[in-house]
Amino acid sequence: MIPGNKDNRDGWLFSIPFLSVFGLFMVYPLAFGFCISFFKWNILGTPSFIGLKNYLDLFADPKFFSSLWHTLKFVLITTPVLLVLGFLMALLATSKSPLASAMETVFFMPYIFSMTVVSTLWAWLMQKDFGIFNHWLTQLGLPPVGWLTSDKVAIWSVCIATFWWTAGFNMVLFTAGIKQIPKEVYESASIDGAGGWTQVFHITIPLVYRTTILCLILQVIASFNVFGQVYVMTGGGPAGSTRVLVQYIYENGFKYFKMGYSAAMSYVLFAIILLVSLIQYLILDRKEA
Amino acid sequence: MKKKLMVALAVLLAASGLFAQGSKEQGQSQKASGPVEITFWSLFTGGDGEFFDAMVDEFNKSQNEVVMKNDTVKFDNYYTKLTTALAAKNAPDVVVCHQANLMSYAPNGAFVALDDYVSKDVLDDFPAAPLDACRYNGKLYSLPLDVHPIVMYYNTDILSQAGITKLPSTADEFLQASKQVKEKTGKWGMLVDNTTGTYKAYTLFRLFYSMIYQQHGTFLTDDNKAAAFNTEAGAKALDWLKEGVADGVNPNGLDYDAAMNMFKLGDGAFYFNGVWATGTLEKVDGLHFQAAPLPALMGPEPWAWGGSHTLAVPVQKHMDETKVKAAVTFIEWMTGHGEMWAKAGHIPVRSSVQKKEAFKALPYRPGYAGAAGYVKACPGIPAWEEIYGTCSDLLEAAVTKNQDTKTALANMEKTVNDILAKY
Repeated sequence: MIPGNKDNRDGWLFSIPFLSVFGLFMVYPLAFGFCISFFKWNILGTPSFIGLKNYLDLFADPKFFSSLWHTLKFVLITTPVLLVLGFLMALLATSKSPLASAMETVFFMPYIFSMTVVSTLWAWLMQKDFGIFNHWLTQLGLPPVGWLTSDKVAIWSVCIATFWWTAGFNMVLFTAGIKQIPKEVYESASIDGAGGWTQVFHITIPLVYRTTILCLILQVIASFNVFGQVYVMTGGGPAGSTRVLVQYIYENGFKYFKMGYSAAMSYVLFAIILLVSLIQYLILDRKEA
Repeated sequence: MKKKLMVALAVLLAASGLFAQGSKEQGQSQKASGPVEITFWSLFTGGDGEFFDAMVDEFNKSQNEVVMKNDTVKFDNYYTKLTTALAAKNAPDVVVCHQANLMSYAPNGAFVALDDYVSKDVLDDFPAAPLDACRYNGKLYSLPLDVHPIVMYYNTDILSQAGITKLPSTADEFLQASKQVKEKTGKWGMLVDNTTGTYKAYTLFRLFYSMIYQQHGTFLTDDNKAAAFNTEAGAKALDWLKEGVADGVNPNGLDYDAAMNMFKLGDGAFYFNGVWATGTLEKVDGLHFQAAPLPALMGPEPWAWGGSHTLAVPVQKHMDETKVKAAVTFIEWMTGHGEMWAKAGHIPVRSSVQKKEAFKALPYRPGYAGAAGYVKACPGIPAWEEIYGTCSDLLEAAVTKNQDTKTALANMEKTVNDILAKY
């Protein structure tokens, strides 16, 4: 705003194109979805109001809880690993090595592929009977692994594919954070005799703290919303042991046409993500102050 | 003043962009001179898609009153797209709908009742059962293009190596033959996929469903209100499915694609899948196989799970009688030329088609065409999709983990009843 100019009608005018699309495709569906969560509706028929029944049903549905637990497991496994991986990649990409920029490109490359491409690729690599991983294992004289068909291993296989796919994004954020640290800090540290790792632990890690919080919050939200990799790689199997919450929401909405129930679950997931993000923000922010 | 004018202008611009698509579509439907142009969505991909497209081309060449514009866009998620289009009353003039999914739509008035449009001669050409599966409240909502039951494929090379000359006709004989194959040739006796991969372990469900009906049981009660499979018959069916894996003649952790691949590579003797596998299997060089109706392993008659692709006419925002008539003309022609569709492996429904020389001359298909008389269609209820998927998961767990049959069936019964109560 121009100082002294209190007339911001033109600001509103310029915002109209964006706001109208935003309202129509974001705000309206969000509000509509919330309303629908109090109805029983199969898209084609007329919705009938059932109050809180969808929410009450949900808390008595073992599949809701098992799906939520699978999502939580995914969040707990992927978040720390992706943060550490991203940070290590960023260290390499900002190092003095002549290969630094090549490494940055290579690390980021997987992220540009679409979810379907990545998942299909890994599903083939990990196929139990014809995949190349098990081919190598048997050549080494080891027993083949049911990467996607054993309920103990499947969730880890999906996580491994996710590490490969998305770690590059965190690297970009960390790289930006590391590059903002003034060179003088490192210079004076090395004059004082601090070695490479001492510099990392006492300069880099504390000074990228803000980036770490950002990465953490983004990562937790992204991991809570996991769906595509699981759906393509395992289909939620074996026997529903990797079915995540967003998949269950999708199945209820678009396969079983229980729109109200599906919407209710979406809002519970929304509340959980909101709560977790708020807690993170409050705890981490206080620590900094 | 000037600003208000600009606001109005901006809104107008945005609106015209948004609705341009809608007005274009309207313009097309008003043009009514020349042949009637109708549109179509198909869920067919790969081999099925090619055969279907060829039929549409042939239909367009065969007459000059109706032009079918086959939408070449293939949807990954056909039913999601179809449902939203039906809700907006904006679907194409003809759509494919599986018989099992029909009841998600017909009771909501999404399809046109076809009784007054289809000629009596055509109706009489259909056997009663598959046609009845397309009725709701006595009205006909679609016409079946095919039936596709689960059948048995067997590798003739492996069977002769194992010294099996007669196909097994009971469940015990079948397990015995599978063991013999394993002992004599080292190959898998049977290939029943039992683990979720690209698809759920639907084959387990299809076999379980078939075996219950072979024993004169039913999956749900007659009013479709409760589960009816937790019986002796159900236990026998599940035991049989479990034994193959427990005895080591069927691979554990086998998904749909892997089962298909193993049979193609000649790694197993008996393979169960829908008739649609024929089109793929016959293209494999060096694979010598036969296809037979599902054997009557557990009873006197060879009842088998079977689906059906049906063709329906969606209700539109602005109904156009000429288009509905054109759509029905198309549907009548398609069902009347099922021998072309049979190339994809499916069994044509109309009796006149089954008698055509062109159909009888096809390899494999006439061998299992008789299976069409013993197809058990799925109960026509909206809850079916959820029951189908959920039970496949539960059977997967029961078979791959060798769970106790009684506990597994009781759990499945409770789950199905819970699902039914929520619709």
